[in-house]
This record gives sequence, structure tokens and C-alpha cells, in this order.
Amino acid sequence: MPKARPWVALLSVGVAFAVLPLVMPGGTLDLYPFAGPRFPVHAGFIDLATTILIFALFALGFNLLFGHTGELSFGHAMFFSLGAYATALFTKGFDVYVGALRLVFAGASNAAAALAVSLGVVGLWAWFVARLIVPRSSGIYYSMITLAFAQVIYSITFHWGDLTGGEDGIQGIDRPQLPGLPANWLQDSNNVYIFTAVVVFVAVAILYWIINSKFGSVLHAIRENKHRARFLGYDVDKYRVNSFVLSALFPGVAGWLWTYFQQSINPDAGSIDYSGRVVLMSLLGGIGSFAGPMIGAFVYWDLQNRVSGLTKYWPAAIGAVFVLFVLVAPTGIAGIFEDLRRYGLATALRRIFSREARFTSDVAEELPAHRTGS
Amino acid sequence: MLHQVADQIFNGITLGMLYILIALGLNIILGLMGVINFSHGAFFMLGAYVAYSLAQHMGFFPSILLAAVAIGVLGMAFEVLLVRRLYGRIPEYTLLLTYGTALVFEQIVRRIWGDDALRYPDLPGWLAGSITVGAYAFPVYKDVFLVGMTIAILAIVWLIINKTNIGMIIRAGTRDAEMVQILGVNMPLMFTAVFGLGSFLAGLAGALAAPVYAIIPSLASQWVVLTFVVVIVGGIGSFWGAVAGGLIIGILSSLMELVYPPAVELTGFLIMGVILLVRPRGIFGVEGLFE
Repeated sequence: MPKARPWVALLSVGVAFAVLPLVMPGGTLDLYPFAGPRFPVHAGFIDLATTILIFALFALGFNLLFGHTGELSFGHAMFFSLGAYATALFTKGFDVYVGALRLVFAGASNAAAALAVSLGVVGLWAWFVARLIVPRSSGIYYSMITLAFAQVIYSITFHWGDLTGGEDGIQGIDRPQLPGLPANWLQDSNNVYIFTAVVVFVAVAILYWIINSKFGSVLHAIRENKHRARFLGYDVDKYRVNSFVLSALFPGVAGWLWTYFQQSINPDAGSIDYSGRVVLMSLLGGIGSFAGPMIGAFVYWDLQNRVSGLTKYWPAAIGAVFVLFVLVAPTGIAGIFEDLRRYGLATALRRIFSREARFTSDVAEELPAHRTGS
Repeated sequence: MLHQVADQIFNGITLGMLYILIALGLNIILGLMGVINFSHGAFFMLGAYVAYSLAQHMGFFPSILLAAVAIGVLGMAFEVLLVRRLYGRIPEYTLLLTYGTALVFEQIVRRIWGDDALRYPDLPGWLAGSITVGAYAFPVYKDVFLVGMTIAILAIVWLIINKTNIGMIIRAGTRDAEMVQILGVNMPLMFTAVFGLGSFLAGLAGALAAPVYAIIPSLASQWVVLTFVVVIVGGIGSFWGAVAGGLIIGILSSLMELVYPPAVELTGFLIMGVILLVRPRGIFGVEGLFE
């Protein structure tokens, strides 16, 4: 792995965030000669950029677990959804009965407090799930169980209508007033993008620091060989739990941003669809690299944006991309670039299209190890 | 009250039978190849749709059997064309691949049959009625035919696995596929056959479910997660695990309908949580197989 150069990396991320809105369809630097169909939900391209950033954070958090610890959670949308619902309920308040017990909260529009509540809820649930499953499962078993736990959250948000608004979710959530900024500053889409970019940038910096710290190196060791990491004296399960909780907190922050951005939330945010999407983003961009999931989020939303304007069967295109990348380019876009940089075009192409070479790719060695490690 | 409980238990058994068929197919594939097939739910759904379409042109029995066979063949083609390319790679990739194909299958179904719920044509007369025993009327199809059919299929699969040479290879391969290959068995062929068998079971479950449930594209994603839960509860790679898990989850979640309807979906997950705490490998799971 190349030596970490934090300033170069973070500067590139900052520049990318600044340029992103400009390259969106309709932006001043629109790279596409044939302007594609517009984002279906919001008319403005700036909203697409905000969406990309929020999902970039979501995917980066997810990839701390998949790419860096080597464990595939197929239910990470539950943390996104929990963070989003916690923010929505904190902002709007609630008044529900649990049995005979009445729970009332008037609602408050403090963004920092909402973030703290979201992180608390997400962290507790993640810790509970991790403590339950980490000592008892790994490999695909782990993926199936995380998926099942995500369905629990989905089912609760769907059926506990008194609290969550059921299938329709919660609407009309006010954006918060940020300290030191004019009232209604967040009513403007451009400002929402700026706010999101700042938050995501800070979160990315924290993640970068985590992955390049000693803690991150232990996670890589666990990914490569659990047994060896254990023999070296690391409490592997403790690291796996911590990695799980950390990787849940970032989607929680993304959910917090998502609620403010959308001003509404519904159970879909915690569905298999969302869990699958974030896996695809990571895979698309490249799970073996730090920036991969961010690239993946960009490519995914651009693709969805274009294809969903053409056909209502667009999820099939998403599925096809999944199949294509798993079969042909499991190291993702970042992996392809890495191969290009190392070997040049001819060899890189040969590596992509020859089955044998892919298993021995240097980048592939940075992929999660086989489930048993034996 | 007693009547309602009995009602729900029989509903649960019907549901359980379908879970057993789907989970057994998933389980055999998982046990032998270590492949988790996310498209298994899509095969179930396709079984229902194909049976629906065939039933417009032929009788009840041929339509169900033909649908199941068609899905079995589809499963074999699926294994040869796609899944096979991932053997030797980390098993998570198969999950991702089959997740992608599940999305594609669902959209294909939407394209061909549309988004609206379809109703299976009327059953033949002798299946449509009900048998009255004392105060209780058993719907023939749901409570007698479907249950009997499932038990018959289970018996056949059990005999194949435990009493034939092919079954011996499957059982040995579940322990150590590489060693069986070295002993001269054509394992790639076995993998294809077993994938076909598993898909056949999913397709059959779909075809059998078609007259009972509304046929909609989201059947695939609704059922696949619960099938995972059944497999986790029963134990990966275990025949009786699929049976026990399917019945337990089917019956208990139906009974939940009487206790607290909004929590019906949660029942399976609660059972899974308890099983994880007390017996992580599942009721009949083999220790060390997937740990």
C-alpha cells in the first residue's frame, strides 16, 4: 500500500467537492455533450450533487467494514435509516404510547443535538448488533444476518405508524438554523450543498485518519488473515465490533444530512435496495482503495439519473452493472486505474479480460480474504 | 378463539411448507458449494409467474410441474453461465452477483407480466372445496394438497440425498468438495445438477404458492430474506434444519397474527435472535461448517 499522504489526499477531496456541482448535468462545466435526463426527484442539479456527497459518506462508512475489515454487511441501510429517523423525530417531536407508557417529546431544531441523538441511537443499535453477531458468525453467514437485522429496522419503521408515520414516513421536517448564519440560510439548495460538503469533508478526514492509524492497520491485518492477527495478540473480535460500530456511525451522519436535505423520510431508506446500492457504489468505485466508494457514489447516481429517465425498468441496469463488475472488474474503477498506472494499457486490459490474472492481481490482494482464512 | 388459533396454525403450516421448499433448495446449494444465491427468491417468484402463464393453456398438474422444471433448467443455465465463474473467489462475490441478477429478474418480470397483482385461475373442482372435520373446514388445496405435496417432495429429496450414490456425493462434497473431486467425481457437473435441484425446489414452491398468494414482482425480495432467516434458524446445510426452521417460523409468525398483528414480520427475526444467542450454528447446523 502506498504511503499515506494526508494533505494531498484531503486536498484532492476538497477540490473534488468544490468542482462536483459544476460537472453535474446543467452545471457550468457539464462534461457531457448530450445533456442527459434531469434528476427525477429534484429539478436542480445541485441536489444531485448533494445526494452524491451524502451517499459518498454512506458508502465510505460501509467500506470501512467491507473493504478494510473484510466483512460484508448487507444491511447497512439500517444505520442510514436510523440516523435519518432519529433526526426527523428529534426535530418534529413525537407523542406515542408504548403499552401504557406515554412517550412525549416536543421537538427541537438544534442540528448539533440532533446529530448527537442520531449518533447515540445508531451507535447503540450497531453495538448491540455487533456484540450479538461478531462472535457468532463470519463470511456469508454474517452478510445474511446483517440483512435480517436491517429488515427488523425496516419493519419497525414501516409498521410502527404512530411513531414513524408508517409507509408514508415523516414529512415537513424543518431545516435547522445554524449558529452564526442568517435565518433561513439552509432554505437555499446551494447552501445545503455547502453545508453537506463541509460535514462530509470533516467526516472523510476522520475516516482517512482512522484507516491510516494503527487501528486501521489492525483491521487490514484482520481482513488478510484473522488467525494471524489473533496470534499476534490482537483481540480480533473486539476490533471487529469496533469496526462495525464505527462503520455504522458514518451512515448515521449521512442519514442526519439526508433528513435535512430531503425534509422528509420514509421506510425505503432502510430497505434492501439502499443496502444493496451502497454495496454497489463501493464495488463500482473499488473496495480496495480509500476513495473508491466516493467515485462509486458519483458513477452510481449519474448512471441512475440517466437510465431512470429512459426506462422505468432502470433497476435492471443497476443489476447488470453489479454483475459486470463482479465478473469482470472486482477491483472497481480504482482497481482498473491502479492496474493502468502499474502495468500500462495493454497489460491492464489483458488482466481485466483474463480470468487467471485477476486472482493474482496485486490489487486483488487488498480484497477481503476467504471466509475461513484456513 | 380456539377456532382462530387452529386457523392460524394451519395457515402457518401452509406457509411453513413453502418456506421449507425454498429454504431446502437454498440450503443444499449453500451446503455443497458455499454459494448463497440471492436470486433464489427470484426463482420462487418466477415459478409463480410461469405457473400462472402455463395454467392458461393446460391443466393444473402439468402447469405446476412444467413451471418447476423450467425454473430448474433456468437455475442450471444460471450456474453454468454466471455462478461458475466465481468458484475459488471469495463467497461474498457470489452474493453480490446473485443480488444483481435478482434485480434484473424482477425487472424482466415487471416488463413481461406488469406490476399489478395477478390471480391464479380457478383450481380444479376437487382442489377448490374443503373437507369438514367436526367444526373445522379444511380448504383442500391449502391444508391437504399443498402439505401432502410438500411432504412427498421432501421424502423424494431425502431419499436422493441419503439413499443414492448422487446423494452420497452431495453429502461428501458438503464436507470437502475438493477431496471428492480428487477422488474422480465430476464435481462441476454435480454443482450444476445441485443448483438445478435447488432452483427446481424454489420454482415448485412458487408454483404451489401461486393459487394461494397474490402474484406480484416483489414476492422475490419479500421471501428471500425470510428464507435466509429460516436457513439461519434451522442450520446451514442441514435437511432437517430447513424443515424445522420453516415450520417454526411459519407457525409462530402466523400465530403472531392473533397476538399483535404489526409484529408478524418481526417474528422470524426475533426467533433468529434467540437462536443466535443460544445456538449460533442453528438448530441442526453442523459445527464449523460456516464459522
